[in-house]
Amino acid sequence: MKTNSITRKFGKLMRLDVTYADYIESLKITGDFFLHPEETLDQIVSELTGVTVPIQKDVLLRKTRFILDSNEAEMIGITIEDLINTLEEATQ
Amino acid sequence: MKKFRMITFQYFNAITNMGLDEAIMEFVRKGISQPTIRFYGWDPSAVSIGVFQGVRNEVNLDATKKAGVDVVRRLTGGGAVYHDRLGEVTYSLIAPLEMFPTNIIESYRVICDDIIFALKELGIDAVFSPINDLLVNEQKISGNAQTRRNGILLQHGTILYSVDVETMFSLLNVSDQKISDKLIKSVQKRVTSVVDQTGVSMEELKNALIQGFQRNRNIEFGTYSEQEIHRAQELVQERFNNDVWTFRL
Repeated sequence: MKTNSITRKFGKLMRLDVTYADYIESLKITGDFFLHPEETLDQIVSELTGVTVPIQKDVLLRKTRFILDSNEAEMIGITIEDLINTLEEATQ
Repeated sequence: MKKFRMITFQYFNAITNMGLDEAIMEFVRKGISQPTIRFYGWDPSAVSIGVFQGVRNEVNLDATKKAGVDVVRRLTGGGAVYHDRLGEVTYSLIAPLEMFPTNIIESYRVICDDIIFALKELGIDAVFSPINDLLVNEQKISGNAQTRRNGILLQHGTILYSVDVETMFSLLNVSDQKISDKLIKSVQKRVTSVVDQTGVSMEELKNALIQGFQRNRNIEFGTYSEQEIHRAQELVQERFNNDVWTFRL
């Protein structure tokens, strides 16, 4: 297992703490961004935990975008693309 | 025009302040309480962190404990804030979503315009800087944060009256990236306060804020109901004074 913490500044700050080997064992997404409704983040973390590494960016973008759409959620300060790109970086 | 209840400045501790915000949201949603604007301070001084922030990443917990400064996780996103007991006025605006623009940035702008008006009355020219800040000459004088749940909007924010930068940055773990992003070497230069800008008293700031939030609204002055206080106390026990909430990230 490897662990990595990575902080990136977009409109707002986002930090990922990830533990992974050939799959993502645990993931924590923190930062000063906004997401309405806030509970949507737990669903996103749940979706991304357990996925294989290297990650399939297109698939994860679709899945996380679906979560946002189905919750009528809005991210402010970061985007789903920011999140998935940073996750890819953190697991390389 | 729908009536707002305005509750003038009172001090509470951090967990009670957050409990009152959530309790009022619930009662506004049920139609029991009027849309509300409340002003408050933090006694003792406190650090509040955003709902998505890691408490250990953001707060020097040894320093807050030593200084007797409370730590609370907010319902809202945004960054960590040091709420000095004598250094700021905090407001919360709680109202049905339909009373504000659907666009989140526009709703920040509408509410922040009231603060800009208040500061202007004091001779301070502040501008709205999306997403959620008010700046005076590129220096932050007010930070604001919003949540929307069950059809209710809560926006709360601080207006810095005076800044104890040394204490603030001894309690917060400030990201180097955040500082370098603004190309400002000194953290002192990132923030300003009413006292830095003009010589008015805290009372004058409070009165100006009342004027700012009062204009364009049908205001009735009031106080907290027994039900709201009781529910706030429940929420303090369930959430805001509970390590499961505070240390969840």
